[in-house]
Amino acid sequence: MISTNDSAGRNVMKLYLAFGLIIAAVMMLVGLTMRMAQAQWLSIPPDVFYELLTLHGAGMIIALVVCAMGGLWFLMRRRISLSAPLAVAAWALLMLGVAGVVISVVFGHYAGLYTFLYPLPFIGSWPGWATGVFLIGMMLINIGWMIWCFQILGAVLRAYGGLRGALGWNFVWCPKAFAAAGHEPPPPEAFPAVVAGLDGLITGMVAMLLGVALLVRWIDPRVLIDPLWAKNLTYLYMHALANLIIYMLAAFIYVGLSYVTKREYHTSKVFVIAWWSSLVFILTNYFHHLYMDVSSQPQILQYFGELSSYLTAIPVTAVTVFGALMLVWRSRTRWTLGAVFMYSGLIGWVVGGIGAEIDASVPFNLHLHNTLWVPAHFHTYLLGGCLLFVMGWVFLLLESRSEHSTSKLMRSLIFTLSFGGMVVFLLGFYFGGATGVPRRYDTQPLPGPLIAQFATIGVIIMLLGFTLAFFEGLRLRSGFSADRMLWPQNLRDDIS
Amino acid sequence: MGATSKLLLIFLLLAGGVGSVFVVVALSTRQPIEDQTEMHRRGYAVRSKWFLFVTLFLLAAFVATLPFFPYLSRVTAQGPALRVPVIAQQFTFIMPSHLPLKQRIIFEVTSRDVNHNFGIYNSKGELIAQTQAMPDYVNNLEVTFQKSGRYTVRCLEYCGVGHALMEKEFTVGGY
Repeated sequence: MISTNDSAGRNVMKLYLAFGLIIAAVMMLVGLTMRMAQAQWLSIPPDVFYELLTLHGAGMIIALVVCAMGGLWFLMRRRISLSAPLAVAAWALLMLGVAGVVISVVFGHYAGLYTFLYPLPFIGSWPGWATGVFLIGMMLINIGWMIWCFQILGAVLRAYGGLRGALGWNFVWCPKAFAAAGHEPPPPEAFPAVVAGLDGLITGMVAMLLGVALLVRWIDPRVLIDPLWAKNLTYLYMHALANLIIYMLAAFIYVGLSYVTKREYHTSKVFVIAWWSSLVFILTNYFHHLYMDVSSQPQILQYFGELSSYLTAIPVTAVTVFGALMLVWRSRTRWTLGAVFMYSGLIGWVVGGIGAEIDASVPFNLHLHNTLWVPAHFHTYLLGGCLLFVMGWVFLLLESRSEHSTSKLMRSLIFTLSFGGMVVFLLGFYFGGATGVPRRYDTQPLPGPLIAQFATIGVIIMLLGFTLAFFEGLRLRSGFSADRMLWPQNLRDDIS
Repeated sequence: MGATSKLLLIFLLLAGGVGSVFVVVALSTRQPIEDQTEMHRRGYAVRSKWFLFVTLFLLAAFVATLPFFPYLSRVTAQGPALRVPVIAQQFTFIMPSHLPLKQRIIFEVTSRDVNHNFGIYNSKGELIAQTQAMPDYVNNLEVTFQKSGRYTVRCLEYCGVGHALMEKEFTVGGY
């Protein structure tokens, strides 16, 4: 049964989405500044560059996580009981953590980056207090994230008959008895919720363990931590968190694309098994970050890392993306801005995945590891996938309630500028990676600066498109009508 | 064409293929509407084949890459080779400035302070080999230089605000 009038739930989603998108917008400007510096069109001292890089990395991941949390939370609240005050408390902790990160970078000049490797933050050019505030900020963010995971996992387990029910175990293995008892499997969006809840809690606890160890080291420098142990924990957490963003946003596809295509996305056995495999692969893929620890990391994990990274492509391409293409194929799709953004995001997911699979191949990783190929693939799926899913979602919400509609000319202009600029920007990273330009360099060796100049032009074009989209969104918002349906609560009614 | 240029070309072809599929599917919405049940029947048949193809392709790719893994077995690591210790520290590498041509070299790479990366670039600017430099651990990187010339080592793991300046040049053979 879908709830049809939930203003508190909508407000929580708006809170998450608004702050996520504001942080993302600011961080895109920070990114533009860095690319201009690499293009040698702007002079920035190295310490300031790396402070900006720290802000950009932390800010973008947090922005997109917050958007995914808000959207998925709302989609689940349509169906199950979720406490709005608890969701606001989780959001407040996240924002408190963000404030800590900003203080440590802006006032403490912390420049150890978001994904730092021990013992770097303790042997930097910034004061010790900045490292402490950064660590505490990151732990607050993690606590907020874990509260959200705990809340959504608990609610899903309660609503769908424990872990067996929420994972669709009987639906897959005992289908006749399941159907005879009159049961229905959980809706598609429940699977991203249970996977995010479980994997988020597991990796969140790992991060807390590492965070406490680092805090103890901060308080007493005599305490030493094993660097390889810290590296494994760091990548397990960071990789899982970055991965979970797009898996959580898959819920937007299941609901949003159903809406625009006037078709329903069903929970099938193949779909459920695909999510079981994703549940495991999200935890085991991080080994590919340690391929270049050629002698220190146990060899068996290197082999397992490549196999796991390869197999993770199967549920994505053969189930979620294929299912989305089946929804669109010869459907009644209205190509509004929301639909275009959401559909384009799928391309970013797949293409970014191809870039990731190439880098996750050990023989290729020898030549691509920590070159610009790395930001190339994760920008493709975070910017060209996740952000477009979020923008698509926001526009679907606006379009569904507005009496205004976007003209064909404006749609074409926004899409051409946003997508065209994005392609130029991303190609800069891929070409840089293929020519061996290292990542995280404030001043790059040739041909880095030349490539950065093209990429900067791409960013500016893309931001022009996003700016137009922002004003178009405001125009749609001004045309809200009280009589229009409150999408997506009554999606089923709309499909029928 | 270098190895990474070929990778880029493969990537661009695959990305173009993906984009084309999405365009074709998007354009299909101009055709008469297909009933979802009928679409499911035909779509699931295609999906089964696609699932099989992707799975077999990825497993084959895994097997095909195994011989090129850079990890030395215990026996190989102890075989005859010139052992070259490399110590990385903010923001330099301590290592010889000249190395022999066509001789098996095992770089024994470690760090004195934070995590670094030991990335070797040839005179064309191509990244030919790399490994992490980590405190308390030693990574063994095997390289046999086939061409004499000037090589540059760059740090490829962020190690502090002087990261981009951390490089060291060495020569190989009678250069």
